[in-house]
Amino acid sequence: MHASAFAQEKVVKIGALYPMSGRAGIYGMDSVAAAEMAIEEINAKGGAAGYKLQLINTDDKSKPDYAVTVAKRYISDDKVNFLFGVVSSAVGLALTEVSKQEKKIFIGTDHAATELTAQNLQPYYFRVANNTFQSMAAGALYLKELAQTKPWKTIAYIGPDYAYGHAQIEELKFNLDRFGVKYQMVGEFWPKLFEADYTSYITSIMQAKPDIVVSGFWGGDTVAFIKQAAPYGLFEKSLYFHPDAGGNYELLSAMGDSLPLGLVLSARHHNNWPDTAMNKDYVAKFHKKTGRYPTYSAEGAYVGVYAIAEAVKKVGNPNDSDALVKALEGMKFQEPEDPEGFVSYIDPASHQMVQVQAIGVTMPNTDYPPATRMLGNWKIYKAEDLLPPKEWIEKKK
Amino acid sequence: MDLSFFVVQLLSGLTMATFLFLIASGLTLIFGVGKVFNFAHGSFFMLGAYAGYQLSSVWGQSFWLSLVAGGIFAGVLGMLAEFLFLRRIYGRADEGGFQILLTYSFILIIDDLVKLVWGTEYKSLAKPAVLQGAFSFSGIVIPRYNVAVILIGLAVVVAAWWFLNRTRAGRIARASALDREMLAVLGVNVPMTMTLVFGIATALAGMTGVLAAPLRSVTPGAGIEVIIDSLIVVVLGGLGNFWGAWLAALLLGEVNSFAVVFVPKWATLFSYLVMALTLLFKPEGLFAPRKVRRV
Repeated sequence: MHASAFAQEKVVKIGALYPMSGRAGIYGMDSVAAAEMAIEEINAKGGAAGYKLQLINTDDKSKPDYAVTVAKRYISDDKVNFLFGVVSSAVGLALTEVSKQEKKIFIGTDHAATELTAQNLQPYYFRVANNTFQSMAAGALYLKELAQTKPWKTIAYIGPDYAYGHAQIEELKFNLDRFGVKYQMVGEFWPKLFEADYTSYITSIMQAKPDIVVSGFWGGDTVAFIKQAAPYGLFEKSLYFHPDAGGNYELLSAMGDSLPLGLVLSARHHNNWPDTAMNKDYVAKFHKKTGRYPTYSAEGAYVGVYAIAEAVKKVGNPNDSDALVKALEGMKFQEPEDPEGFVSYIDPASHQMVQVQAIGVTMPNTDYPPATRMLGNWKIYKAEDLLPPKEWIEKKK
Repeated sequence: MDLSFFVVQLLSGLTMATFLFLIASGLTLIFGVGKVFNFAHGSFFMLGAYAGYQLSSVWGQSFWLSLVAGGIFAGVLGMLAEFLFLRRIYGRADEGGFQILLTYSFILIIDDLVKLVWGTEYKSLAKPAVLQGAFSFSGIVIPRYNVAVILIGLAVVVAAWWFLNRTRAGRIARASALDREMLAVLGVNVPMTMTLVFGIATALAGMTGVLAAPLRSVTPGAGIEVIIDSLIVVVLGGLGNFWGAWLAALLLGEVNSFAVVFVPKWATLFSYLVMALTLLFKPEGLFAPRKVRRV
């Protein structure tokens, strides 16, 4: 064997778990593509503290048990330095336990369940994308402002019948109360996750005549719900309000012209907001690499890799988990989703990335085909106003 | 509840029931005739949806042509699957286990093929122009497309009745459900019948996939999601009973529709509750098929 084969290249091993199949497959595919993009950029500049970054990914099949097995194998056999990824909150909650036991830092790039950075927080977990609480706090502020120009009184909620759906409405109610908004709930509807047929829910919501329909769906469920509700005229009678995942690009691109105008939506990253050089550059590079525009989840993975590189640079090696934790706490760095004049940072107390939220309205826009509608008419919410207050976290414990 | 809302909700339930029936009918037909439980039935539904997407959204063909072609596409693939794989395991002592493993592996393979060809992004199909919008009279609103779905479902029921009761092929299919050996002795090509039945059933699934696509998201994994609901319909209707599946679909559609109104928090529970109660008190299903007594 040639001698150089024994020469050890210094690497930072990132053990990622993303779904590559099923309904969440698109988020996994985009996350891996964006993480690889970040790694190429960093390695091209010489890596972090002399280390090259390397990503391995396994399809977690969105199953917590299976993901835990893979993560343990990553740590024992593959000797990864970081756990990384995860779309499903259920998988995230399972992996944070492994991370805690094994003292391996887990960088959460997508899953949004608030408890990971609140009551279930452990020292080795960090989340670089926003949680549902932040989305719902921004949502509550939007509804508060709306009441001044377009008085509304009643809300109906529809969302998938599992932790994610229930957390959203609970957090929205908490924030509406916190900001002193008066409202009346006229219905809560809980179809199962991946329900294919919403017809009966739609007719039932219309009977309740809410001013605002708050939706907590994600992915294909949103597509199906909007398609089925449009001919009933739901969107003319009530304001459709979907502040966590309604503005996801895969939804905008799948629906094209059949997406009604005037829906109020948001997502954890927008391809056309903010209008900064960094965001434009990120979106263009992703498009060049994959031939498609990124879904929201890609940005979390992109940012997550940079967070790891920064921390390794600061500490000088990828092995000292406790020093890396210190480096990540309070870390500031510019992200594609940061508007001019704001730099995201990791809140040392909650290990949650503190980010600005933008909520927009669907309008014609053909700059990001195949989508023919994008969000516009943005309302922007300050990052610091959106974090869960202490009393909320205490109440949950 | 006023009358117009009652009617609207009834029709919502009927739309849901039609889709349930259209998917489950093929499944129950295959089971009835061949005693095969085709786990991959939902994947043929998904293949139809993708074929419809390719024809209609990518190649710009008409929706109606896509509907027919999507059915044929899934039907041909179904016949191939039966001819190349399934028929090799008929009659083996442990057939049940093999069927499940084999048809489950179809799901995984078809999902991966779909990802390779069409990617993981959500795809969409537009409704034909004539079916956009809704009919509206005295407080009752029902989308045109839903009316078309209900009518197509009825047409399939009528066509199936005609086929099963009034044609030689239909009689052979029914007979092979009862006694394959006797039929073979009488000179009927039983394996060919099975292949055809499989083809018809998967064609029905494929056509339903195209029909559902303008209302749902076309996505890998869609096959697994419809199979559970179909399974409930098939079991409730009595395994292999075509008319039982129809009545079970109607029952489930309406139960679900009114559960959403009266007990919205528990609505999804009701279809499972109906199934659990049925299995408890009538384990052979509400409408079990007739048994042949061997002497």
